[in-house]
Amino acid sequence: MATSAVARETVFALRRQIAKIEGTLPERLAAGERARARADGNAPDLDVAPDITIIRRGLAVASPDAFLPTGVERLDAALSGGLPKAALSEIHGLETRNAGAVAGFVLSLVSLILKGQALPVLWIGTSEIFREAGFPYAKGLQGLFGIAPEQLLFSEAPKLTDALWVAEEAAKMTALAAVILEIRGSPHRLDLTATRRLHARAQSAGRPVFLLRQAGEAEPTAAPVRLIVSGAPATSRRTIAGPLADSIGRPAFTVSIGKSRTALLGQFTLEWNPDEHRFEERRPENSVAVVPASRGGADPAPAPGTVVAFPAVGSFAAISPTAGNQPSRPQRPAHISPRRAG
Amino acid sequence: MGIADARAMHPSIDIVEADPEADRRLLEGLADWCDRYTPLVALDGADGLYLDVTGCTHLFGGERAMLDDILARFFQQGFDVRAGLAATPGAAWAAARFCGDRIIPSGEEEALLAPLPLAALRIEPDIRASLESVGLRTAGAVMAAPRAPLARRFGASLLLRLDQALGRLDEAVSPRLPVAPLSVERHLAEPVVLTAEIERLVEMLAVTLKVDLERRGEGARMLALLLFRVDGAVSRIAVGTSRPLREPKLIQRLFHERLTALEQDIDAGYGFDLVRLSVLAAAAFDMQQADLTGETEDDGADIALFADRIRARLGDNAVLKAVAVESHLPERAVATIPFSEAPQRTTPPKKPDRKDAPPATIFPPERPIRLFRSPEPIEVPATEMPEGPPLHFRWRRALYRVTRVEGPERIAAEWWHEAMSDPVTSTRDYFRIEDADGRRYWLYRQGLYGNPQVPPRWFMHGVFA
Repeated sequence: MATSAVARETVFALRRQIAKIEGTLPERLAAGERARARADGNAPDLDVAPDITIIRRGLAVASPDAFLPTGVERLDAALSGGLPKAALSEIHGLETRNAGAVAGFVLSLVSLILKGQALPVLWIGTSEIFREAGFPYAKGLQGLFGIAPEQLLFSEAPKLTDALWVAEEAAKMTALAAVILEIRGSPHRLDLTATRRLHARAQSAGRPVFLLRQAGEAEPTAAPVRLIVSGAPATSRRTIAGPLADSIGRPAFTVSIGKSRTALLGQFTLEWNPDEHRFEERRPENSVAVVPASRGGADPAPAPGTVVAFPAVGSFAAISPTAGNQPSRPQRPAHISPRRAG
Repeated sequence: MGIADARAMHPSIDIVEADPEADRRLLEGLADWCDRYTPLVALDGADGLYLDVTGCTHLFGGERAMLDDILARFFQQGFDVRAGLAATPGAAWAAARFCGDRIIPSGEEEALLAPLPLAALRIEPDIRASLESVGLRTAGAVMAAPRAPLARRFGASLLLRLDQALGRLDEAVSPRLPVAPLSVERHLAEPVVLTAEIERLVEMLAVTLKVDLERRGEGARMLALLLFRVDGAVSRIAVGTSRPLREPKLIQRLFHERLTALEQDIDAGYGFDLVRLSVLAAAAFDMQQADLTGETEDDGADIALFADRIRARLGDNAVLKAVAVESHLPERAVATIPFSEAPQRTTPPKKPDRKDAPPATIFPPERPIRLFRSPEPIEVPATEMPEGPPLHFRWRRALYRVTRVEGPERIAAEWWHEAMSDPVTSTRDYFRIEDADGRRYWLYRQGLYGNPQVPPRWFMHGVFA
């Protein structure tokens, strides 16, 4: 027993060393190997132990169904497999008026969790947030996320203390598919201790707890992941005849990773597909990059995304649409894609 | 006697205004306390209580011991009490008011009443006055007189009261509180003060209760815990359950939450010397067969218990469930009702079947994911066209620039509900709007243009994802 522990420790130490040399986080190594294996398509030797991902300092080892994959490859890779399923996850909205987008994003995640199970979901909120941001509307949730009204339970607590108590009690339950706790601002009561309690209960029950903080500030909490969500301009509705002008299509979110043990900070634009109930990453429609693709046109660095409509502007004609998300400058991290200027 | 006369006789007299309300409350408090002797307690006028002790006396060591116990305890609480115990309410009333602390054996009512004045018969003062005017001054004289002329001259109520007092007619005493179908109690030699001890007692009582519930094949839907304080105050703590319940551990947990929530309100004082657990409402208990691992199929039980605990602590509206309502008005289409009132599903939910699903409309109207409880007024300085969407709007003091619009969707009022409202001013045109930052809102314009008296108003009703 002791020898194997020592051996494991050695392996982890080596892994850290490699990570240091490669300039990445040690926690991401395992996911990276797997991703590479998948990319190669011929890695039978790696399939022996493919389902192991190191979560934290190599001490805890979890299988991939500990994660909820969002279905967006880049985001999943950045989070090394998705959001943790048995944990507290923080979802922030910078302003209360973003509550629609934040709630929409979390409900999309809940919709992904609920696929194939009929367990109820509990949404706890203080009276303040339900007054300020509106009460969840079951008709809209059913249409957009496929969550049946009888699957939803709401708990409205007049005080934050009561809301936290309900959340702690609910986080212990395995009969709930997920717990959403929504509060406003950054109250003192919701400190490191309170979030640790929530996190520990979520871990032991194996159910996700989503902490929605509207107009909250990034504070030290026990949640391993914090995502910052805001609304993104929607695309036009797609019809057979092409995009319908001036229409508002599928809900879109801008998600940035505010905190994660495994990911570097990054920003993603996601679109929710209400028909198939899955996320799609928004490919930039126009190729006007935030960073100029090249200086003076001499360096035809490929712009990301597919060039759709007007290929004949300057050097853009030569761009290969398959180039993917190559960084246009070396110092630009790979996971931050150029966004639409508007 | 007026106040001035009284003051003239006793200058130091203390004058207190009569407060019938407070007297009434005190009497009700005493009635609550008398619950310890019998569940059937009724108020009698402004100064009396009826206790129906049928079948209860042996619990207190016989009639005399019970009467002495009642009198002693009231005396210790500082009340001057007179009591009578008889087979009929009328005789007991007369014994308490005219004889004092007597127990009238069954059949001796006539001997008791005969020498008493007419007031002992509980009759109206004018009937009493007219009886006295013809020389009938005691109850015995009335009993001796022929009945037919009495009824003709003084009305049926006199004979009714007489018959009731003598036990010829039954008289029902209507209890103040509904009688619990089941209740168990424990008298304590040493009063308890600590909440933890009360909780332990609740569990012990619930164990006893479970046997009775099992015998009846029922579970409790509503439970009450009565704590009788040494000095006469009674605390009544009720919890409701969303499913029939009989497990002592679970009952104890529900009361634990309730007692925690009420910690500030319950004053233990010198302690409680009687704790009673009553089932106020019971319902048939569906037995669930457990499988070999000891677990049952019923997956909703956890949720129900969880909801009950939240409800015990935070009130009825703490856990809500959304229920679709047949209405096209967005705010009426979904009702949120307390979990315990929601229709219960005892069988596990069925997998949604595509064939059975009602045919969905091809383009269902898009609804927001959050709806404001009351639509918030917004300022719209300008619209593109008179009936069109706004270009800008001001909501909660912030200005929003509209970049894209879908709509309008016209939603008219429910004229069959609101007969009084004007169809023109209550018509709403809804717009889906996206602002410059990519937030999507649901606005509506109430009323139509062209009406100079009532200009249309704009409201924010919900937000989209």
